[in-house]
Amino acid sequence: MCGITALFAYDAPAIAREELQAITDRMIPRGPDAGGTWVSPDGRVGLGSRRLAIIDLSAEGTQPMWDSARELVIVFNGEIYNYAELRASLQRNGARFHSHTDTEVLLELYRRDGDRMLGLLRGMYAFAIWDTRARRMFVARDPYGIKPLYFADDGSTLRLASEVKALLAGGAISKEIDPTGAAGFFLTGSVPEPFTIRKAVRAVAPGTYFWIDENGRGPARQHFSIARTFRDAREQAVLVEPAVMLRERLEESVRHHLVSDVPVGVFLSAGIDSSALAKIAAKHAPLHTFTLDFAEFSEAPLAERFARELGTEHRMRTVTREEFLADLPKILERMDQPTIDGVNTWFISKAVHEAGIKVALSGVGGDELLGGYPSFTNVPRIAQFPLAARAAGALRRHPKARLLGQYAGTYGGAYFLQRGLFAPDELPPLLGDLNIAEHFESVLAPDPETAFGRVATLEASLYMRNQLLRDADWASMAHSVEVRTPLVDAYLLRQLAPLLLQTRDKSALASILPDYLRDRPKSGFFVPMKEWMDLPDDGTSTRMRSWAKYVWESFA
Amino acid sequence: MKILLLATDAYGGHGGIALFNRELCAAWSEHEITLLPRVIRGPVENVPPHVRFVAEAAHGKFAFLRAVGRARREKWDLVVCGHVNLLPLAFEHPLLVVHGVEAWKRRRTPLAPCRGILSVSAVTRDRLVGWSRYGGPTYVLPNAVHLEQYGIRAKRQDLVDRYRLHGRRVLLTVGRLDSGERSKGFDEMLEVMHELPDDVVYMIAGGGNDFVRLQRKAHDLGISHRVVFTGLFAESDKPDLYNLADAYVMPSRGEGFGFVFLEAMACGVPVIGSKLDGGREALLDGKLGLLVDPTNPAEIRAAIRETLQRGERKVPEGLEYFSFDRFVERARAIGDAAVHED
Repeated sequence: MCGITALFAYDAPAIAREELQAITDRMIPRGPDAGGTWVSPDGRVGLGSRRLAIIDLSAEGTQPMWDSARELVIVFNGEIYNYAELRASLQRNGARFHSHTDTEVLLELYRRDGDRMLGLLRGMYAFAIWDTRARRMFVARDPYGIKPLYFADDGSTLRLASEVKALLAGGAISKEIDPTGAAGFFLTGSVPEPFTIRKAVRAVAPGTYFWIDENGRGPARQHFSIARTFRDAREQAVLVEPAVMLRERLEESVRHHLVSDVPVGVFLSAGIDSSALAKIAAKHAPLHTFTLDFAEFSEAPLAERFARELGTEHRMRTVTREEFLADLPKILERMDQPTIDGVNTWFISKAVHEAGIKVALSGVGGDELLGGYPSFTNVPRIAQFPLAARAAGALRRHPKARLLGQYAGTYGGAYFLQRGLFAPDELPPLLGDLNIAEHFESVLAPDPETAFGRVATLEASLYMRNQLLRDADWASMAHSVEVRTPLVDAYLLRQLAPLLLQTRDKSALASILPDYLRDRPKSGFFVPMKEWMDLPDDGTSTRMRSWAKYVWESFA
Repeated sequence: MKILLLATDAYGGHGGIALFNRELCAAWSEHEITLLPRVIRGPVENVPPHVRFVAEAAHGKFAFLRAVGRARREKWDLVVCGHVNLLPLAFEHPLLVVHGVEAWKRRRTPLAPCRGILSVSAVTRDRLVGWSRYGGPTYVLPNAVHLEQYGIRAKRQDLVDRYRLHGRRVLLTVGRLDSGERSKGFDEMLEVMHELPDDVVYMIAGGGNDFVRLQRKAHDLGISHRVVFTGLFAESDKPDLYNLADAYVMPSRGEGFGFVFLEAMACGVPVIGSKLDGGREALLDGKLGLLVDPTNPAEIRAAIRETLQRGERKVPEGLEYFSFDRFVERARAIGDAAVHED
């Protein structure tokens, strides 16, 4: 779990060592335990890493890391949960290891399987491997995009890093705002990938990889597709009682996500997903749980009661308006790209860090997986029956009701109506042009062909990826905490997809919880931003539009 | 001890459940067993002397009901219900035997009257308890393999000729081609074939109503020349069939246990099984062979490559765990415990 960077002067004489160092140093909070850089003898390739040690805490885990034969060198950010199994398989094939890290497993797996290695990884990752034999670099990102990876390619040098701001800190990249990315932020509350708010920087698409050699960057190839997973699952028989299968598979995913050489915590709201996660995890490991408490609003008593029942080491962390205002400059400084969320993760991660814990499980992704959002009923309705949707008043009292005519009728458009923050005609002038409905619709390729599959794909590829996962990353890494997401997992999705498409009742998580947690309205990790910031009324209940404008000021 | 066994089939039956019932009878040789079969498909042979096999029970639904009615008038120390479908007919707090998928989904018949549940695997037990919340005693009795009936043999030339396996490496799956379940992993195997070396062929051994679809699929994938369908095969050819294989691969989702793995291992064929069903237990959690997630083609492919690369034939250490002697010990202990459970 780290911050990584890679530079490759594929059509230039050399990289700048100071730039490599500056990019790496910007990411020290992501990886305070160790750091290092490496530059190839000819000066054209540079790798940098900051490490947060979770598995194999020894110096053997330091990056950039070489394989035993000193032919391959890697920088890797993330966690491979099935690394022990892969390591055993590689050893049976004769591979030798000098450490006990998952990082080295990636190197040997690459040597054995090449790009096909990616299908075998269970985890979250972004990495670059420099292959000295073939003089080319292999770059890959995990299926959901849990770990970030950005690149800038000016036609002669490729630059990669875990943060947009780190790439800029190198000093060689233009800071020019990308109007499309900016428009995307105002339309949705986060910058939609592959755009960033800098024109020169793009995100490596989740579930893809590419090669780069002296001829430049090859095309991105897909190694996982959420849309395709749902499409392929349509005709599979469901052999196990759905509630039983859900619990069984979730339990298995949680067990995988507990692999660690350091103690593990859980972000515990009184919500279904995080509570169920804590309950399952508590069966397998001594657990630390964390809950935020606000004077304005509190779920803390419920969470505390539940934690007591589970027997976890529980901490309730009070956050006041004063602390928020004091942290605000730091929050905006570590916020990698503009977003209207992430403050909750900031404080809960701060609490985890204060307790000396480095790893925490989060229930993020539960609603995307199990269809917990209203969008799962609303979007298909608006997409399929635009007129009926209007008549039925699905959006009647909504500020976006006037946009129905323009956007209803496609899944992408309907999804924008459901999730959009501002309307295109409300954007500040000079912002770019982004056909948001079309952009959304583009994630539905290949078409999952079922209503559930489509909405689940939209949610996982848009809101969850651009907002929830990205915010979880920067806000936790700012406190050197690794967030793990057992409900966001390609293995879990493949195992459950047929069932998700065929079963209405997906309340398996709730069924393992006590009544006092089960029968409550949805809450999530809420932060009383409106009360703290005294934001101007903008017609939304949370005043997120005003907050968006405030955040934007610090980037523009 | 007098035991009544209500069974779907046993003697004169084929398939895993019939075999299990015969083994159970053999293990309980100290007891007096009356067995009511629901169906008889073939010649009834080798019924041991301690088993009263009531063949007329298999003459249709009413014959079975009549046989059960007569049995009700007798006194039994233990009534064993060999299949959950027969449970509505069972009486006197039966010991219910569950085998696999039939017990993985919610059923209407209440399980509460059962004195206990005997499952061939922990996964079947857990899935059953998961939906039923059954709180009584449960026992796991894995299938047994008669090691002496198998063994490593040379490839039989007439079979090599018949299936055109000269110079080929063979992956084998044995099972029924069932269009309803599609859970044996045939589809998953066909889909990874193009990523395996050209000399590798895939042999599907078994009959069933999904044959035409699978054959067409192999054709559409452009690999029909590398796929062999044996159709139904003679039981006596089975050990030789296994011995044709370089790896036994079954990335399944619906196996209650996976007896075929035991047969393959007893022939010294390396096995690849599933993490998502009873195969995991037949492979002793990966100790006896490689486990894959059947929903991940990359894992299936990697496990096959690893296995073929090692190219080693041996009966794995630890397979004695499933020897018939161990089965007898376990079955007797379970029988004794169940009688006293009432």
